[in-house]
Amino acid sequence: MIEISGLTFDYPGHRALDDVTLSVAGGSVTALVGPNGAGKTTLMRCIAGLETPLEGRIVVDGMDVVEQPREVHRIMGYLSDFFGLYQDLSVARCLEYAAAAQGLPDDDIPDAVARTAERLDLADKLHRLSGDLSRGQRQRVAIGQAIIHQPKVLLLDEPASGLDPEARASLAALFRQLQADGMTLLVSSHILAELDEYSTHMLALRDGRMLENRTLKSAHQTDEHRLLRLDLAQPDARLPEWLKAHAQVALKEATESHAEFDFRGDLHAQAALLKALVHEGYAVSSLAAHKENLQQSYLRSVAAHLEGKQ
Amino acid sequence: MSNPEFKRNLWLSFSTHRLAAMPALLALTFLAAALADPQDNVAERLYTASIALFIFIVWLWGARNANAAIVDELRDKTWDQQRMSALSPWTMTWGKLFGSTSFNWYGGAMCLVVVATAGFAAGKPDVLANVISLCAVGVTLHAALIALNLHTSQFESRVIQRGGMGWLVIILVFMFMPAFSLGDQKPVHWWGMEIGHALFWLDTALLFAACATFAAWRVVCNALQVRTRPWAWPAFACLLSAYLAGFAHEDASLWLIGLFVSVAMSYAALFTEPNTLLRWRKLRLLQQRGDRRSWLEHLPVWPTTLALSFAFALMVILTSSGTQSSYSAASILQPQYAQTVALMLLRDACILLFFSFAPNGKRAVGATMLYLLVLNMLLPFLAEVAGLETLRYFFLPFKDSFDSWSSVPVMAVHVAIALWLVRWRLRKVEAT
Repeated sequence: MIEISGLTFDYPGHRALDDVTLSVAGGSVTALVGPNGAGKTTLMRCIAGLETPLEGRIVVDGMDVVEQPREVHRIMGYLSDFFGLYQDLSVARCLEYAAAAQGLPDDDIPDAVARTAERLDLADKLHRLSGDLSRGQRQRVAIGQAIIHQPKVLLLDEPASGLDPEARASLAALFRQLQADGMTLLVSSHILAELDEYSTHMLALRDGRMLENRTLKSAHQTDEHRLLRLDLAQPDARLPEWLKAHAQVALKEATESHAEFDFRGDLHAQAALLKALVHEGYAVSSLAAHKENLQQSYLRSVAAHLEGKQ
Repeated sequence: MSNPEFKRNLWLSFSTHRLAAMPALLALTFLAAALADPQDNVAERLYTASIALFIFIVWLWGARNANAAIVDELRDKTWDQQRMSALSPWTMTWGKLFGSTSFNWYGGAMCLVVVATAGFAAGKPDVLANVISLCAVGVTLHAALIALNLHTSQFESRVIQRGGMGWLVIILVFMFMPAFSLGDQKPVHWWGMEIGHALFWLDTALLFAACATFAAWRVVCNALQVRTRPWAWPAFACLLSAYLAGFAHEDASLWLIGLFVSVAMSYAALFTEPNTLLRWRKLRLLQQRGDRRSWLEHLPVWPTTLALSFAFALMVILTSSGTQSSYSAASILQPQYAQTVALMLLRDACILLFFSFAPNGKRAVGATMLYLLVLNMLLPFLAEVAGLETLRYFFLPFKDSFDSWSSVPVMAVHVAIALWLVRWRLRKVEAT
């Protein structure tokens, strides 16, 4: 859905993006992660056609963003980190304006407003002034404005900043729903745990360069291949060697009391492994699939990057 | 025609209270004007009062609202949403132009009804022409302010971001614009033609209203990433030159006026456009790629009027050869100085680029203005006070006691030094 090649963007005295090449799969939810100043916002603004890069090409759904920005805007929604609302307009009018400005036919606008308000739990607030809403409600109105024309691509820059846990949970549910509808989402956030709930891919940036761009959920969680964590109630020095010798195990980390390893085999094979461990006399307290969370995944990418630098 | 931007502005500008208050307040004001002096002609007084009210409501208050049309979007961080919309540049332009000032036009329309009625009743000449001129000047002001605010929106100065430039323009316009004529006026002589006063100012107002609206549309195009090539700015310089030359004394020249206009417009653009190193790097990349179309689209507009200045300077010299009388002593500039003026502009542009290309180039405009003041005023003054005439002439090569042709090589030395400075800066920046 989004193809970027050789993207370079400079600010005075500072290169924000340095020869970034990546692709974002259609229908995915990609978590854009990185420290402050990594280039996340600049990357999003370039994709949205709000900034013109020094070099490079950005293609969204087959259209070049620099050459056809207006056409790209029709299929794209963007929520800026520092978004604004028309404070003196009601929520209904904010949404109506957004729908009309995105080119929706007049006849379709009332339905679009009602559908969006319903989706964002704003139906009972349509007649309130947007300036009178709470931070979380304003955030939802802004997201509503970005999605009212049902874009194919939705860019969200720190969408959950300043939201309470309940609002974050409903936001995560909304993003999953949008993904289920076939929308492609690119979401940046500092709060990796929040992205973990709905992201399918991770795109890590650091110092304007891409560290990693990969699938999150499927790689370690297929029927035939999973990351497992084993915990013992009683430490046993034989454990690392025993696991190393097992044909279906690729050990990642092991101590006397716990181990993490890639396991090749289905659930029956996993049950057989557990049985063998118990048979060998290990006091197994748990053996379960261990999903690497986004935080771990990101930190691993950073560590690999720093190792590569040394 | 449905224009979401216009509609949004109507939502924000009108309420039931405001809809009712405007006609009520106007009616009371007109009643007060009619009853003010029973000895005087009522129609005459209403005519004068309605024009004054129109000027206040549409020109002044409307200018304030047009000024806020962009400034408020930037301040409230809604501008990105607008730039991401599917609205065409023209829809956005007229939606903002007439939407942000819609309440003013609502009141203005009522004033115009009174202007027309009272004008005809009082037997005033050219009432219709005056009505249209009033509207055209309003549109000119509003469109020019929208264009100016968008054009300067990339400046980080808070004064500019809060519409300071717009307010400066509003103050200047109201200070220098001759009061709208109510009495009989003499015909205007323009390019040897005698044109009725009202008709001439009507045509002038319509011409500049069209130009200002076009300018607003072009700036909105750029803001919405719809790229344009930089032909309109030099074309407007030519148009303005031709317009002003129509008033000129017979010994002045179209080329000379063209030179002054293009130099003035170059300075205006030079100090209001972003001239960052990044922009020039992009231009260099596009040039290396041979992408002529994109190169033109990314080019600032000031080099176009800079080139035009040299062309006009050349024409001044060519048309003056052997006909010195046509540039008499009354003329404001000796023709020999024409190239010097154009070279001076080039030097000043290089000085601005020198400061803009510095690692911290945010204060380039201020630094350039300061150094130009030192170079053009302080140093020549000190040299003159010290009796160093030649040194004074080196700093500012405009002096009758020297051969006027010698000013060209002197200014060429200035340009060479300025170009060397830019080159030095570029090498230094590239090396770091």
